[in-house]
Amino acid sequence: MNSSFDPKNPRVKKAYQKRSLNNPPVLALTLVIFIALLFGGIALLYFQIALGWTLIGFSALPAMLVFWIKNDLNEIPIGKSSSFTNLLSEDLLLLLSPNTTPADLIKILPKTRGGSFIMARFGLPISFFQQAQEFLPATTDPIYATAQDILNSTNSEEITGAILAVALVQNLPNAELVLNQIKLTTADLHQGIIWFNYLTGLVKDAKKPVRSGGIGRDFAFGYTPTLQRFAINLSERYANSHIQLQMADHTKIIGQIVETFTHGGRQNVALVGAYGSGRSTIVNSLAETLMDANSKIPNSLKYRQIFALDAPSLISAAKDNSELEYLMINIFNEIYSAKNIILCLDNAHLFFEEGPGSVDIANLLVPILEAGRIRMILIMDDQKFLEISAKNPALANSLNKIVVTPSGREETLKILMDQVPFFEYQKNVIYTYQSLSEAYRLSEQYIHDVEMPGKAKLLLESAAVYAENGLVTAESVATAVEKSYGVKVKVASDTKDREKLLNLEQLIHERMIDQTEAVSAVANALRRAGAGVKHSGRPIGTFLFLGPTGVGKTELAKTLSEVYFNGEDNIIRLDMNEFVSASDVSRLIKDGAEDGLSLTAQVSKQPFSVILLDEIEKAHPSVLTTLLQVLDEGILRDEKNREISFRDSIIIATSNAGANEIREKITSGAKIDDFKEELIENLISSGEFKPEFLNRFDEICLFKPLSKEDLVGVLDLIIASTNKTLEPQKISVVVDPAAKQILIDKGYDPKMGARPMRRIVQKTVENIVAAAILSGHATPGSTLHITPSEIEIS
Amino acid sequence: MAITEMFFWWYSRGWQVFISKARTSLTSITDFFSMSSLVRTLFKPYRQISAETASSSASLDLKFHMFLDRLVSRFIGFLSRLILLLAGTLIIIVGGIASLILIILWPIIPMLPIIGIILSIVGLAI
Repeated sequence: MNSSFDPKNPRVKKAYQKRSLNNPPVLALTLVIFIALLFGGIALLYFQIALGWTLIGFSALPAMLVFWIKNDLNEIPIGKSSSFTNLLSEDLLLLLSPNTTPADLIKILPKTRGGSFIMARFGLPISFFQQAQEFLPATTDPIYATAQDILNSTNSEEITGAILAVALVQNLPNAELVLNQIKLTTADLHQGIIWFNYLTGLVKDAKKPVRSGGIGRDFAFGYTPTLQRFAINLSERYANSHIQLQMADHTKIIGQIVETFTHGGRQNVALVGAYGSGRSTIVNSLAETLMDANSKIPNSLKYRQIFALDAPSLISAAKDNSELEYLMINIFNEIYSAKNIILCLDNAHLFFEEGPGSVDIANLLVPILEAGRIRMILIMDDQKFLEISAKNPALANSLNKIVVTPSGREETLKILMDQVPFFEYQKNVIYTYQSLSEAYRLSEQYIHDVEMPGKAKLLLESAAVYAENGLVTAESVATAVEKSYGVKVKVASDTKDREKLLNLEQLIHERMIDQTEAVSAVANALRRAGAGVKHSGRPIGTFLFLGPTGVGKTELAKTLSEVYFNGEDNIIRLDMNEFVSASDVSRLIKDGAEDGLSLTAQVSKQPFSVILLDEIEKAHPSVLTTLLQVLDEGILRDEKNREISFRDSIIIATSNAGANEIREKITSGAKIDDFKEELIENLISSGEFKPEFLNRFDEICLFKPLSKEDLVGVLDLIIASTNKTLEPQKISVVVDPAAKQILIDKGYDPKMGARPMRRIVQKTVENIVAAAILSGHATPGSTLHITPSEIEIS
Repeated sequence: MAITEMFFWWYSRGWQVFISKARTSLTSITDFFSMSSLVRTLFKPYRQISAETASSSASLDLKFHMFLDRLVSRFIGFLSRLILLLAGTLIIIVGGIASLILIILWPIIPMLPIIGIILSIVGLAI
């Protein structure tokens, strides 16, 4: 295979001819000469001057020239042999020369459509190539050879600027490593080439004439005035243009529908699948196929038009059920008489159940479906199909069910590549390839009510708002998720966030004393999440805090919420002693519309939060069993069977179980690590917790009782909190060290932890401050010094 | 030279391109006038008006009336289709003949300047 540029190749010559001839001024001039010669000749002949024949004869030359330019030079097909020059795209034929160096190639790339496509879509600016320049080979030969390999591996027709750009990158030493640094792989770049080829193909296809039946197409088909009032003609938009779209695996389903409608029997199809799985796209694509004269379908289906019935307008137009039935019968009669209509019932369940915006006309529809005289497509989701099947087996049996499954990654990316030009046109932005793959990844993780590819499309659309300089990047998609779902998905990138994560223990200890094991366990979990190394299919962290009362278990959860989860309000707290019977499971998963305080409702509203399950040992075993899936997979289904994600939450369960044992061991001088395993074994053997429940936690943290020394710190924190409360009044409190000691002596209770201390401060310090304020001794700007005697008196 | 290449193309691929273009435009005309659909449904009732058939239990009088209605509808349908078919056929014939003439004259077109000079020398007047 020849891997060098041949300037003598006829295609090169042709490309230059095209550039000089196929342009408006030359074409206009040629046309003017043609007209002048032709009409000049005719005029001369009119005046009996024989020279007119010469002029008319010569007028053939400009006419031939235009025909040649428009038919031979308009497109320069690839050459027959597989030499490098024979495979080059037109724009490259004009830009390359035998002396082109890799450095020249870098300058050439932005001038080609393919090169600029790859640069824009993958965020590879010219500076990236310029920096890489010194590492490139000395000559272009290896780059051209790589380009030919890429041509074959991507099934491309010609070597475009896109292929050359990728070939340049691939010729860098450690290319894969370089690409990985910008979160790309060679395979991604090859996908980019396929994307470019596809879009180029779309542009070419758009220039082809559309054949959709002509002016007499509907002569043999009847009028449908009522149907047109209540339905949308999906086929109409395909009568004059081809819009649709790469369908990947959906082509198979379209084949199945065509098969069903071609043979006898029940002429209906029920497309059953989740919202977003592409059911409507299939119907639209079928509409286009049926309207295309070139499609390979039986004549009995050619030019059949699909009408989507608008259920709400139909229901609102009818005063009662009898009028609705009358309208429906009218519509069915029209469809039957017209002979060219396929009726599509989107959200078909609306016709099989009573309720607001829906009506049960199954009795009317079932005989029609069974008779098979009207072609129908029903779209419904799997759950509704199950409900309808249970309620009306005859209806379910009369349907030809086709399951529409959600698309996989490759297929979704293809569909997104297909849709992106429409979004770009509507939103006036450009999407990078990374934004597409990020939309797939994040929508898979965060959008649960819609299926692929619908959810990735939704996310891409909303990401347009966060485009920077008109470019929708992976960052824009992540921002869209963060803003829409209130979660943190980006790897901590700004210094403030990184600092916060790195110093989390310090920040937590500003609010609580000791318990270093639990604090660092929680901080590590958050750091893993912040660095993007956490398992995406689980919550950020799941912890069980064990220990006596008043040692800071709940306080740690609150502190965490304050420090990292945007304030103490972002804590979802459930007192598990309110979930002591099996029937309480329903309160956990109640629909948000009925109970906004159920666990699923609160998490769906606020997924990025700390979930505190206080006194978990008091919950009923059924409640604990329900929570197993949350701890394991970060998912809980509510009573409406909607998946609620807990994957952006940190789950903390607290328990006093084993408190006495912990206290005894610590008092006897043992360290937590020495008896932790034994304590857990005891909790299992005593039946307080089941092993499968304890196993679900990332970590079980033991909280030790607070010593008198610890209480000094606790007291300082409580006084600091009192000062914070007094801040608006500009009054501050200072407690003398001796007074502090009295407070500690009074407030120390090893069984109750820090709680008595708070009560003591309330009864003494806060009472003294209140009296001083009311008596006018404490004025704004003053500092109250509390002495031991005051404490004793109070 | 561009001109030489143009002449070379004219006598090689150019001819084929023209034939294929002529064929495409004739196909487009056929599609525009829905020729195949119209031929296939030539005697079908126009827009399915009065296309229903009477049930077997209907009276003879009703059956006869419906038959007449259907006949009228079919006749209207036949007439409208025929008009369109004739118009389409006419345009296809004219286009076809013009294309055929051009295909036959194709090799002569580049010689038109010479022919023109000869006619001028001969002094042929209209």
